[in-house]
Amino acid sequence: MSNLPDVSEIVLLQRETNELVPAELWDAITDKNLADWEHAWTPELLQRLLVLAKQGVAQKHWPQSFHWNWRDKAQSIKGLLDRQCFSVVCDDMTQAMMITDLSRRAQLESQKTDHLVYVDYVEAAPWNRSELSGVAPRYSMCGSVLINAAIQYSIMEGFKGRIGLHSLPQANGFYANHVGMTDLGLDADAHNLRYFEMTPEQAEEFIKKGG
Amino acid sequence: MARKTMTLNLTDKEMAVLEVLCEKKDLSKTLLMRQALRLYQRVEERLEEGGKLFFENESTKEKSEIMML
Amino acid sequence: MKFEISREWIEAKARSEGDYEIGAGLLGFDPSVDDGTDGVVVAEESRLAFSRFVALSRRNLRLSAEGLADYADVELAEVMSIESDLSYEPEPRTVHQLAHAFSVDQRKLMELSGLARPKSPAFIHEAVRYAARSESLEELSEDEMVALEAMVAILSKR
Repeated sequence: MSNLPDVSEIVLLQRETNELVPAELWDAITDKNLADWEHAWTPELLQRLLVLAKQGVAQKHWPQSFHWNWRDKAQSIKGLLDRQCFSVVCDDMTQAMMITDLSRRAQLESQKTDHLVYVDYVEAAPWNRSELSGVAPRYSMCGSVLINAAIQYSIMEGFKGRIGLHSLPQANGFYANHVGMTDLGLDADAHNLRYFEMTPEQAEEFIKKGG
Repeated sequence: MARKTMTLNLTDKEMAVLEVLCEKKDLSKTLLMRQALRLYQRVEERLEEGGKLFFENESTKEKSEIMML
Repeated sequence: MKFEISREWIEAKARSEGDYEIGAGLLGFDPSVDDGTDGVVVAEESRLAFSRFVALSRRNLRLSAEGLADYADVELAEVMSIESDLSYEPEPRTVHQLAHAFSVDQRKLMELSGLARPKSPAFIHEAVRYAARSESLEELSEDEMVALEAMVAILSKR
């Protein structure tokens, strides 16, 4: 599917031991990542959905990405210059994936029509999602790592760290509170998902040394 | 990621437009041209799929077609 | 492209990240759960096609309901409900296991069962058409075999 990705050495927080463990940030979604999604993420996700179903949780409260098909999506953007993929790998397993889009423009008044990196898709592996199981994630910091990468990518492309995304409802708190993005409200053109955007100043604040 | 270098010959008029756009979007010439290439590829892809490129006026919702280059 | 994300930065951010969900993506949003009801809105025909497909495939494998439950590692009660009760909503794991047992695309079977919104309603219509050809639950007739093969082909397309 793709050439070898560039690999950046990072660490993730392993929650069981509360220790930082070595991991990698890849600038691609490769066959290996897609195989992990098919053979590890999907069965695990279905098992967790079974638990929710048995608990009588209504489907509208299920995680809304449960039917995402990463293979289809990766195939559909193959070769496109305005799309860039990322994956986080730890312990030889894909822990999270992201696809970004360079073709969109900012909507926030202070930066309207400026270029930004739009996060098309981002998802963590089922075992890293406490909402699915009610227990702590196996690894945390995947989301922060990917958003940091999106910001750095935005800077590399001359967009000064501006990023934008439509958050799934369960993740609104992450983008509003932890990442510190501006909430532009529900987007009627996007199934009423909440649209978040980051200014260069907010981006610098998020990625600065010392957190 | 490996990079390749090319020389781009532009007319005075084209260079003037490029410089105005770079100033406006606060992008280097290289970064702006790369964005232009991405946009061109996407437009071409959609045209090949049978799509049309429109601009829509946000307030009136009126659509006007872009002439394809 | 290489990125610089230091250990110190991770340590600092880890204090505030907690157990947040991170999902974002317009294309991933499932509008079928935004309709105010507690489940995916499913045409009855799609469930019928799913029910028929499971029954035909089971008979093609010459298995009883119990045999299929063992073979696919699913609950017998589920197999019986799927085949006899059109209002029954199968468990996601069961659909996953059945897709594996029948060697068809898991996502397509999820769509047919009503657990996922179909990307293309056309494929549902196609499956329903073939399902309607099967009526009896005895040994598969030639027509039923043709119908089953066609449904397998539809459900196996990527």
